[in-house]
Amino acid sequence: MSAANLAPITATDSLSQALKANIIPNQEYLLQGSVLDSAVEVLLHRLRGLCDNVDAGTETFDDQEVCFSLRDPNQQAAPLMLRVRKALDARDMPFQLRYIGQPDLGDKSRPTVVRSSLDIACSGMLIEFLNELGCRIEFEYSVKGYMFRKGRMKITVSKVFKISQSSMSPEPISQSYLVELSVLAPQGQDAIGEDMRAFADQLRPLVQLDKIDYKRLGHMSVT
Amino acid sequence: MGTTKTVHILHNSEQPASVFSILESGTKNIHVIADGLFDLLMMKLSQHYTSKKQTKIESKGPRFELGDFCVKLGSVTMNQNFKGILIEVEYRPCVMANAVWGLLREFLQGLLGPTVPVQPPQHLMSRMNEIYTPIDTIYQYLEHFSAYRKVTGMRNN
Repeated sequence: MSAANLAPITATDSLSQALKANIIPNQEYLLQGSVLDSAVEVLLHRLRGLCDNVDAGTETFDDQEVCFSLRDPNQQAAPLMLRVRKALDARDMPFQLRYIGQPDLGDKSRPTVVRSSLDIACSGMLIEFLNELGCRIEFEYSVKGYMFRKGRMKITVSKVFKISQSSMSPEPISQSYLVELSVLAPQGQDAIGEDMRAFADQLRPLVQLDKIDYKRLGHMSVT
Repeated sequence: MGTTKTVHILHNSEQPASVFSILESGTKNIHVIADGLFDLLMMKLSQHYTSKKQTKIESKGPRFELGDFCVKLGSVTMNQNFKGILIEVEYRPCVMANAVWGLLREFLQGLLGPTVPVQPPQHLMSRMNEIYTPIDTIYQYLEHFSAYRKVTGMRNN
């Protein structure tokens, strides 16, 4: 018999080590914009020219996202939002569970929105698990589109659909595509924001990627 | 809030990149297997729940390999109090409990003598013909850990 590894590092030790070394990618740097359906082909063409993962054709995705909220029983803290994503085009892939914190827009000198984010791959009975934890479904939608990579940056061009109750094809929410440029990085790596801004500038004639303030959007009247 | 539910978070050094979580709700157990960041999320959730911080329990010790068998001798401690020894034996080439229970029992008899129970562990009884996965090991550990919690002092079997 051979004995190995008499005292393995415990999971809590390795987590606190990772926290101390600041290697956990828990910040999302984000820019958003949109293009009309009629203009999307030109943007995709440009992205195919700029990005890394285009050798084997454009990478597509077709996901469904359910957003849960968890309310504080003492009503003191704001409800916690959790998002569960599953790939409709690759059903044996794990679910993606995501916590997204409040977006911090900063002042004009900050190039991107920064928000805390935890991205967790999960298998098993995640939806039942969250329901039993007391999470409530707030809304759900499906999102279909293209994913590009440029170094550490991720660019998605996607269309948001309402979930159809019947077997009818899902109804798009608007006549445009959502464009997102994001990077997940550990705290304090603000230099990546400048890279993102530079990349966004290269796309500027086709799409304007910006820091979007949802609080202000909420006050705008819907026409 | 209604009935109390318990969420267990477990880690296994055999699957160092995974976090196992089992939610006990009445008679039903719901499990989720996630990557390491799940621990951080649970910390975020802690303001919404009462955390029983004093009940960390672990089984730690040497791990042996003998041919296809893997044997782990864990000394179980709860808040630094020694509670007993937990022995895990795994026969790695087989993925179905039904096909290997006899062999495992015989192997365990060689280690522990004739006191080894005839029946397979409770959790496996209904899953004897199913594919065995790492969460099945976790459920068995949880069964034992729960039993350790209930006894004060040392537990014998």
